[in-house]
Amino acid sequence: MSSTRVVRLGVKLSGALLLCLIFFTSLNANALPAFARQTGQNCVACHAGGQFPELTPYGRMFKLTGYTIGSRSIPLSVMGVASVTKNSNSSLAGPKDGVPVFGTGSVFLAGKITDNVGIFAQATYNNYGGDSGYQGTWGSDNFDLRFADRFIDTNSDLIFGLSLNNNPTVSDVWNSAPAWIIYAPTMFGTSGPDTSPIVGGLGAQVAGITAYAMWNNLLYAEVGAYKTANGAFSFLSQGTNNAGQTKLAGSNPYVRLALNHEWGPHNIMLGVFGLNVDIHADPLNEGSPTTKYRDRGIDAQYQYLLDPHTVSAQFSYVRETTSNSIASLGATNDSNTLNALRIKGTYIYQAKYGASLSYFNTTGTTDSGLYSGISANSSPNTQGWTPEIFYTPVQNIRIGLQYYAYQKFDGASTGYNGTNNAKDNNNAFLYVWGAY
Amino acid sequence: MKSATQITNRTNNPSNSLEIKMKGFQIAVIVALGVLASACSNVERSRDLDNASVAPAVTAMQVCSNCHGVDGNPKSPNFPRLAGQQEEYVISQLKNFRNHNRSDPEGFEYMWGLSRNLTDEQITGLAKYYAKQIPTRGETSPDAKLLADGREIYEKGVPDQNVIACVSCHGDKAQGIGAFPRLASQHADYLEKQLNVFQNTQGRPGTAMEFVVHPLTGANKQAVAAYLQSFPE
Repeated sequence: MSSTRVVRLGVKLSGALLLCLIFFTSLNANALPAFARQTGQNCVACHAGGQFPELTPYGRMFKLTGYTIGSRSIPLSVMGVASVTKNSNSSLAGPKDGVPVFGTGSVFLAGKITDNVGIFAQATYNNYGGDSGYQGTWGSDNFDLRFADRFIDTNSDLIFGLSLNNNPTVSDVWNSAPAWIIYAPTMFGTSGPDTSPIVGGLGAQVAGITAYAMWNNLLYAEVGAYKTANGAFSFLSQGTNNAGQTKLAGSNPYVRLALNHEWGPHNIMLGVFGLNVDIHADPLNEGSPTTKYRDRGIDAQYQYLLDPHTVSAQFSYVRETTSNSIASLGATNDSNTLNALRIKGTYIYQAKYGASLSYFNTTGTTDSGLYSGISANSSPNTQGWTPEIFYTPVQNIRIGLQYYAYQKFDGASTGYNGTNNAKDNNNAFLYVWGAY
Repeated sequence: MKSATQITNRTNNPSNSLEIKMKGFQIAVIVALGVLASACSNVERSRDLDNASVAPAVTAMQVCSNCHGVDGNPKSPNFPRLAGQQEEYVISQLKNFRNHNRSDPEGFEYMWGLSRNLTDEQITGLAKYYAKQIPTRGETSPDAKLLADGREIYEKGVPDQNVIACVSCHGDKAQGIGAFPRLASQHADYLEKQLNVFQNTQGRPGTAMEFVVHPLTGANKQAVAAYLQSFPE
């Protein structure tokens, strides 16, 4: 890129950022999204270091008790992400490479409904829907309708509830869960491995009911079942056409256990989860063979929260085995495994200035039937780092710069697809993320 | 709608287990929605902060406990210990949060909203709830000199700087007296931050503390806070 283009890009970016800042701050410097209006509290009460979506111990209680703390208020919020992605290799760059764009916008219906019922429902407008440029589409995003009750006295504390949701682990309260560990991914570059466990790929495709309980803020258990979000539940999968929707066979079980401990300004969680899903090879044919995915995860989170410091770390390891892959996926092996490791650490000062570093490493069995189209050696193995710095000038706006650096991509460091090296997927992602 | 006979017939046919599963799922959803619809008001276990009929003890346990602990002894030093706190002091602080007279960062970030719709009766009830709780001992600093320095300041003040002894208002056991808060076993981090609020800001107007603490050094504040957290020794 010539220096003139760099300068021009810089000017455009600065302009876009400034416009966003003016727009959001002019609304109200103390602008609070729906939950904050309901409790009257600042974002930092529920979000660790003010960085949404990671929850503090109090934020976890707010969610577990069904979003019902506070006073009923107008349960609406909006959120938007404007960004620019610059890929390191022009041959792999998206059509909007280096161009500031409005990426996504969301509308939330979020808040207390009754003393025991609350909702967190998000619909998202994706301004980009293909390889040719802007193709705006609205669709369902995270959805979590809860009933919760709490029996508490000085000796014991039991919270229990039900959640109707559209994404396994979206009901979770820790940021190490697959639905929450990754956020603000670039829309145009490569923001992770090509192949990931299915637990992270069912959002807004499925409908599930889970029942959960938290005992003495120590032991958390959740069980549930997921099915295809169609028929009466198609409102949970709006924006996904029938032919493109993942179709599950019957009800598919999900289970989650976690141990939580808080001491002084520290808290830690150790957890496991399991998800079994059977997915039809042909979304339009319920008689088509199914791939049987068995995801088993272990995860952990640590937080240190004492103003002005916030430290947090997440660990997630998901091992997925698939079977019946020859008939359903055209794989070479009938059974395959995929292991996804992700570790992330974050430091935030004064709930304003933050930095994080994330490491990801995916390994799996080689399968020429499954991976030959993307990998010269038929391997999904991908490894890399994501450093990020971010700044929160007011509590509901975050400006961040991420860099995705790949050491290995689809099986190799060099010539992974016969042409490109892993680092050709490297990209820088600058974003402004605001909510009101 | 399938008839009961048809469903019974299906249960005899293993090839229809998928449909049976689907029925089970639909029943679970109907039951879940029924539970949701039936649960409109639950005053005995409500987390509503805009309902005068919710008893203060319910609010203390359902809401306040999330940060301050169910018995007013929080785990995190981010939040002050309220167990055994003076009733009059808690009433004045909750009213100060409610009318925005107290604007230290933790005050407005956490407490303005939570207190905004509490009634005077609820505030008094909350204060009574915490006053009768038993405070647990704070962690003792291993630094004996720090504790000795803190004790000196607490009991005698800093005469050279015209800082009066804390004991004269907060009591010989740091138990507090009426509008003067209990300080014994309070988190050192919280105490130090509040001393800084009094010293450097107008966040807590209307008390003598801004004049009292004005000459204190950083070391003074650290020492007296450490001493009070471990009090009684």
